[in-house]
Amino acid sequence: MSNRHRVRGTAPRKPFNPGFSRRAFLGSTAAGAMLTPFVPLLEPEARGGGVQPFPTRIIFLFSANGTLHERWVPTGGQTDFTLSQILAPLEPYKDKLVILDGMRVIRQGLGDGHQMGMACMWTGNQLLAGPFQGGDGGTAGYSGGISVDQHIANTVGVETAYKSLEFGVMTGGANNWTRMCYAGPDQPVAPEDNPQAMFDRLFADLDVDPAGMEKLKAERRSVIDLVKGDLTTLTNKYGGNDKLKIEAHLDAIRAIEMRNEAAVPVCEQPVLNLGFDPYANDNFPETSSRQIDQLVMALACDLTRVASLQWSASVSGVRFSWLGQTTGHHDLSHLGDSDPTMLDQITAVNIWYAEQVKYLLDQLAAIPEGDGTLLDHTLVVWGNELSRGNSHGNHPVPFVLAGGANGLIEMGRYLDYGDTPHNRMLVSLCHYMGLSEQQSFGDNDPASGGLDGLI
Amino acid sequence: MRTSGWFRKNGVASLLLPNVLALAGCYTGVNGERSTAGQDAGESADDGVDDGVDDGADDDAGDDGPVGLCGDAEVGLTDLRRLTATQYDNTIRDLLGIEGNPAADFSADERVGPFKSNVAAPIGDLQAEQYMAAAEALGYDAVTDLPALLPCDPAAGEDACAEQFIAEFAPKAYRRPITATEAAALLEVYNEGKAEADFANGIRLVVQGVLQSPFFLYHVEFGTGDGADGSIVTLTEHELASRLSYFLWDTMPDDELFSAADAGELSTEAGMIEQVDRMLADPRAREAVASFHLQWLGVDEVQGVEKSPEFYPNFTPELALAMREETAAFANAVVLDGDGTLATLLTADYTFTEDPSLLAMYGATLPADHVAGDPVPLPAGQRAGLLTQASVMTKHAHANQTSPVHRGMVVRQNLLCQILAPPPPDVDNVPPSPDPEATTRERFEQHRADPSCSACHNLIDGFGFGFEHYDGTGAWRDMDGVNPVDATGWIVGTDFDGDFDGAVALAQNMAGSELVAQCVARQWFRFAFGRAESSDDECTTDALDTAFAESGQDVKALIRQLVLSDSFRFRRATPVGAESVPGEGEVR
Repeated sequence: MSNRHRVRGTAPRKPFNPGFSRRAFLGSTAAGAMLTPFVPLLEPEARGGGVQPFPTRIIFLFSANGTLHERWVPTGGQTDFTLSQILAPLEPYKDKLVILDGMRVIRQGLGDGHQMGMACMWTGNQLLAGPFQGGDGGTAGYSGGISVDQHIANTVGVETAYKSLEFGVMTGGANNWTRMCYAGPDQPVAPEDNPQAMFDRLFADLDVDPAGMEKLKAERRSVIDLVKGDLTTLTNKYGGNDKLKIEAHLDAIRAIEMRNEAAVPVCEQPVLNLGFDPYANDNFPETSSRQIDQLVMALACDLTRVASLQWSASVSGVRFSWLGQTTGHHDLSHLGDSDPTMLDQITAVNIWYAEQVKYLLDQLAAIPEGDGTLLDHTLVVWGNELSRGNSHGNHPVPFVLAGGANGLIEMGRYLDYGDTPHNRMLVSLCHYMGLSEQQSFGDNDPASGGLDGLI
Repeated sequence: MRTSGWFRKNGVASLLLPNVLALAGCYTGVNGERSTAGQDAGESADDGVDDGVDDGADDDAGDDGPVGLCGDAEVGLTDLRRLTATQYDNTIRDLLGIEGNPAADFSADERVGPFKSNVAAPIGDLQAEQYMAAAEALGYDAVTDLPALLPCDPAAGEDACAEQFIAEFAPKAYRRPITATEAAALLEVYNEGKAEADFANGIRLVVQGVLQSPFFLYHVEFGTGDGADGSIVTLTEHELASRLSYFLWDTMPDDELFSAADAGELSTEAGMIEQVDRMLADPRAREAVASFHLQWLGVDEVQGVEKSPEFYPNFTPELALAMREETAAFANAVVLDGDGTLATLLTADYTFTEDPSLLAMYGATLPADHVAGDPVPLPAGQRAGLLTQASVMTKHAHANQTSPVHRGMVVRQNLLCQILAPPPPDVDNVPPSPDPEATTRERFEQHRADPSCSACHNLIDGFGFGFEHYDGTGAWRDMDGVNPVDATGWIVGTDFDGDFDGAVALAQNMAGSELVAQCVARQWFRFAFGRAESSDDECTTDALDTAFAESGQDVKALIRQLVLSDSFRFRRATPVGAESVPGEGEVR
């Protein structure tokens, strides 16, 4: 018999057991985060018959606190260059790199170097007013513009289950130092830092039997209708930014609805049992690898064509203990140019990040797609919020492109653009992903056109 | 840039202050504030939407809108807020009887100043999916014990029981009466779920739907009018109840608070105070009072701090957790069990920890006749209240040394509400390495010697050096390397300026400061409302200052005045039809 008026404090307390979710359908492996060697089955025939070209993908990567330009920049000419110390790990992919030198991330308006660097990196736009204390005597909010990945996703993402996917490794709180992707002005897009949570989100449904899937979809449909109804009621009762919040929530529910109505992607079920704390400093490399694995799988399964991976955040304080370092990254980056500790350790940090980029390229190259690989059909864009840590500089901010770019970009080049707003690069990236009408990107640079000679 | 990192870690928002420091190039005063146009004329007709937001309490007086404590009601812009992770977990605990941390993997909460509050950004796809995953798992969990969940026995009629469940569960979850339309929509979900499988499946879907509804996930407030024209509205009884419970307990209202709202008691001062006093005496208040103090001082995540084992070999995660719990226990003991005054919070020379490692670090021992809950005396002359507690000293220090800058900033920003600009971007502001031959003061000498540093650091270091007797984990020390500690400091830009020796003396000076008292009142405002105050909240902030002062700076008086204030009882929303202007309206 139930307690009709359950008195607080005497109700049976049950521990929260997430095992009753659809994850219960999944098999589990031993702890240790071993993923089965992934054999993608995104054959062209499975996508509606006939042989079609593989879709073009783009991946955005972020690492923090600038680089050491003198150890990053290649030597030599455009097509016959030598990689420097920091980019040396990418040697096996040299003919699939485009190293962009001379990029200036314009800063104007509100915010300090780190804030502007982070928020402008993919938006090219000024920050809005807001509550995050920083800058020279003022505060700043989130970006005033959409980021290039989201802008691209708004067009190409309509064809995939997820418009885009944002992965993170220990990105931290919710403010303008920790967000690099924006769905619009004042609309930060949060990355998912927990590989297990991302896995459950992306892959948990792949293993559900068809009858079970139909039931799940019908039930979700029912709940979605209820939630949409409530949100629609609310949109008429709010104005201004509050209305924006409700509308954004409604958009998110519609995206869930769209996924619910779509066919389950044809893809082999991967497995993940994380087994370690993805928020612990010393697990940073392992967490990074698991996120990269899933990012690659998501692309291979065509769950999305636009993805990003954010390593930490601007002002990153990650301590590279696995490299024998005891001082956090940000503190190190502020040591002086004559300090050998700074030079050695910042170099080591950036080499390590280059090695992670190589790991990503290796995973992409391991996925066969038609006569080529997923890497052939992808462009990786690796950026930073600063040019150099101790000066908080904004020129030249290091950008490295990697991959086959689906044949749309001539790779294997070192291009020095002197002193060029990086907004042009953002425009070029739009062109690469098929947004050929894009003229400019971000209010920091009203001029139009992409980077000369890139595409 | 260190200070921006500090700001980032502590999420400090710019704040409106009663005083302005006139030091050029250093102090950041008010950058502008959102002030609304005049109030629109009052009585709002029913908008015809059956949404259950009218419970009869109506303070509107004629055509000028509701009347508050200072004449026409005054309140700053009150944007829509979403539940924080803690609020979600606590609400689930009280709504479904399920313990645990279902919000563990939710995206991080934003902060207003140091206080968690999701008021700025909209959610995105990721958060909607996180809510869905949590709701689905909780739905399965909830129906494993149907008798505990249901107010009726389905054996006597399943559909009737489902209706009854909806009629009782949804109003609790939405924290207000529901309409017939809403009940019908939920019943439809039940029917669809039952058709897919069985009665339990139908109930499960109802739970899943409710937990994903915006009426559950957001603090929805429309007041007694329709709020459509941007005028100020009086909050309904249920909206007041919800504000009370999330303020004092960080969770949904309990049955008694719901009943008080049903009976219209919260629109009277007596009814409100009766609930406040009941709630403060309830154990749930301890979590909220602790939460205020931990967030206020930036130590709510001190258990994650890492220290250099070479310099602090005794520092462990367990010790850090004990430090956090000490501050929580102290705050509760003083505010809820004791005299509740700011003076005691700042100057008490005792602790309530019983953790052996922490006591050993303090050099204290449990007296022979100690009874659990008694204060434990700390070594004479060494400690004064919150500021010298291990949590604060640990969080605001480096991994391998103290930090006069961080500690000075806590005083300047968190206790005086005076915001300073970060250093110029091209400055090398990595602390000089520890040197046994040189004191901290000597190693930071450049702050005073270099004119580009001294203007601001004069305001910071003067406080921060006063804490030099507490090492990077808060342990007392008489020596700084081979030199004796010099904990003398100086104070400028306050109402207690002067020189002092040691944090104990500093704390005693602060205990009598009106500036500090006003700042504390502002911090409680931000904590209670999840937003910063604006000039439109002046009626409230004035009343808070008065109540605080007249009570001898009793925090409980502040709490009572908060719930009676205009800012608590009324809401001002952006008018329907107003364009979204991203980034504007953020109160500086």
